[in-house]
Amino acid sequence: MRLLALGFYKMSQRRKTKYENIIFLILLLISFSFIIGRFTSTVRLIKNLIYCFSYSNLNLTNYIFYPSGNFTNDIKSIIYMRYENIAYKQKNRELTDKLRNYDTMLREYNNLSKLLKLTKVKNTVSLFARISIRDPNKWYRWFIINKGQKDGLYNELPVLMFNKKKDTLCAVGRIVETYRSSSKVALITNAAYALPVEIKNKGVNCLAEGFDSNLLRITYIPRDADIKAGDEVVVSELSSVFQKDTPVGIITDISEKSSVDFKTATAKVFFEIDTIYEAVIILIPEIKI
Amino acid sequence: MKKIIYYLILYVFFSMIQFIFGKYLNFFGIFPNFILIVIVYLGVSKKIINAQLMGFLFGLTWDVFSTDIFGIRALMFTVIGYLFGKFFGDFDTNKIPVQFVVIFFANVVYWFGFNLIYFIIFGNEVYMTYFFDISCCVKIIATVLIAPVIFHILEWLGIIYA
Repeated sequence: MRLLALGFYKMSQRRKTKYENIIFLILLLISFSFIIGRFTSTVRLIKNLIYCFSYSNLNLTNYIFYPSGNFTNDIKSIIYMRYENIAYKQKNRELTDKLRNYDTMLREYNNLSKLLKLTKVKNTVSLFARISIRDPNKWYRWFIINKGQKDGLYNELPVLMFNKKKDTLCAVGRIVETYRSSSKVALITNAAYALPVEIKNKGVNCLAEGFDSNLLRITYIPRDADIKAGDEVVVSELSSVFQKDTPVGIITDISEKSSVDFKTATAKVFFEIDTIYEAVIILIPEIKI
Repeated sequence: MKKIIYYLILYVFFSMIQFIFGKYLNFFGIFPNFILIVIVYLGVSKKIINAQLMGFLFGLTWDVFSTDIFGIRALMFTVIGYLFGKFFGDFDTNKIPVQFVVIFFANVVYWFGFNLIYFIIFGNEVYMTYFFDISCCVKIIATVLIAPVIFHILEWLGIIYA
């Protein structure tokens, strides 16, 4: 009887072990099928998608979707676009704030300039250049300076000179040709040159024309304008090269014979035309955002 | 019913520790393998079938939350559950040195099997040398050292829901 009970117990234990082993084998098979199934793109995609949404970040997305095909590349692009969009939105917000501050500051600056009657200062950079070539036959027409494209120069830049007597920069000419390490400057005394000017403190707009001498011919002065010798000629607002109020010369003689409507004057240039050996070029730096 | 609640609590609690806290509390990527400890505990002190099934379930969950080969952890934890379930009742799990030894061997089996599968699939010998890597060793030590605490918690939970 006891032996029979022992036999039944052993049989049940064996059956239990068998049952556990079968479950173990089933679980093992399922696990193996997962491992093998991992290599099919569908399973891999589902799994990677779950993981990607659980721990989403760019590097991980790249790592997960790197070995996959076109479809997953599209998904990767969508996620990339999302992150780019977030970055752009952030940048946009920063720039909008900066722009708002800039607008406010500009408004305040304009108001203050108006109240204090200040001349607006342009953000410029001065570049000093030596005169390397000056043709004696074209003494009043042009000269060559030792700075060119590699120094950031280009055509139509204003060239000035420091006048020691007036302790200020005065107009000399403009750059007309630029090379790698040199530039050609056309003087305001060049016969082919005309500069919009005005008589200082009188608001009379006229034109300064060169005629290949150290003098300028000031034309188109209204007949009724109150102008006399000794009046200062400065660059007018109409000039696209020079800054307004840059000194040009001083009136030496006035002639009323040439026209019925206008009178003409002669002005001596401020820059020391015979002793000039160094010039200043005014550059407007690039605005970096 | 109590049993189901017990296993459910085990599953939720240790999944949270491993997958949520592990993400933030790891030290240079080193975090103890709590799930391995749970499976070994279930194997040596509960029935083999429970250890196997819980191992499979934990492994499957971990596979979903990792970039490793899908199914590799389900396989390894099932094997560990089965192997240590074979020693059911043979160890005195209340003794700390026993816990250390059991968890150490479980770790060895886990990492060896894990890297072996990688080696078989990708054919790269680097996976086999990873077993001797310092980070792998530190992970094993961390798991072994934390084992008595987890065994104690599991004992306590077992008493409540027994």
